[in-house]
Amino acid sequence: MDKKDFFAELRRALSGLPSEERDNVLKYYEDYFLDAEGESDAEIIRGLGDPQKIAADILKEYRDLQPHSWQKNTAPPPRRWKGISPWLLLVLVVFAIPIGIPLVIGLGATLLGILISIIAFIVAIVIVAFAVPAALAITGIALLGLSFCIWGDPASALMMVGGGFVCLALGGLAGLLLVKLCLLFVPPLFRWFVALLRWPIDKLRVAFRRG
Amino acid sequence: MPFPVSSSLLDAIVLAIVSREDTYGYRITQDVRQVMDISESTLYPVLRRLLKNGCLSTHDQAVEGRIRRYYRITPLGRMRLAEALKDWAMYRDSIEKVFFGG
Repeated sequence: MDKKDFFAELRRALSGLPSEERDNVLKYYEDYFLDAEGESDAEIIRGLGDPQKIAADILKEYRDLQPHSWQKNTAPPPRRWKGISPWLLLVLVVFAIPIGIPLVIGLGATLLGILISIIAFIVAIVIVAFAVPAALAITGIALLGLSFCIWGDPASALMMVGGGFVCLALGGLAGLLLVKLCLLFVPPLFRWFVALLRWPIDKLRVAFRRG
Repeated sequence: MPFPVSSSLLDAIVLAIVSREDTYGYRITQDVRQVMDISESTLYPVLRRLLKNGCLSTHDQAVEGRIRRYYRITPLGRMRLAEALKDWAMYRDSIEKVFFGG
């Protein structure tokens, strides 16, 4: 490679730069060759190294020093509602109070009513669910106890004892089933309920943090 | 030289060389290479960075029937150099304390 090749290759490798920047680089290396008087062109080129590598280092430096204009172009557009002046916001808030406070109270009351009815519904289900096996079990025990007092006939008494055992067994089974169902469904139901309550609160929190 | 050269040290060395007198690319390269082992093509990006930072300026001057580009230190460059000299003295003292004891 001679001096002409060196400059041709350097110029080509720097074609991505603005022409002023590229001219500066070429001027620097033209000076360099002329000032390195004691050395032959071949020695200078060997000392400088591959023009591709020289160009790559310069391009890297160029990109590193350019971030300002680059960032300006890619910055996210400012949020639109950031432009509301604080005074306008104050006026809006003042006007909103007479409408807002009853609205908030009404909304709160409605939510509270829904919440209470949901809780009442759950309590009712639990009571019914517990009452059935409990009633069966109590009936069974009562039948066992009473069978010998009421009936003089041993056969009738035995039949009633059997009925009592059946009721007791059904009550026990229903109780076990209920416990199992509770274990299965209550925790996820509870979690779902908590998540439902948290959802609007989280939304508000995110909105406030952004604002 | 077994120690790696940081770009801030290289900047300071170039500023110190140019602060003595206005000089040109080839001379600066040779002067830097007296004290540290850098490749001959390392210097252009350093000079460009210092120009963009406002630490150096250039002017073209007729020499031996041609135009040569000279580099000159700016007042900002002198401030940066003074800071670098102070930082270097502190750095040198703390290293020497470890090496040779206080």
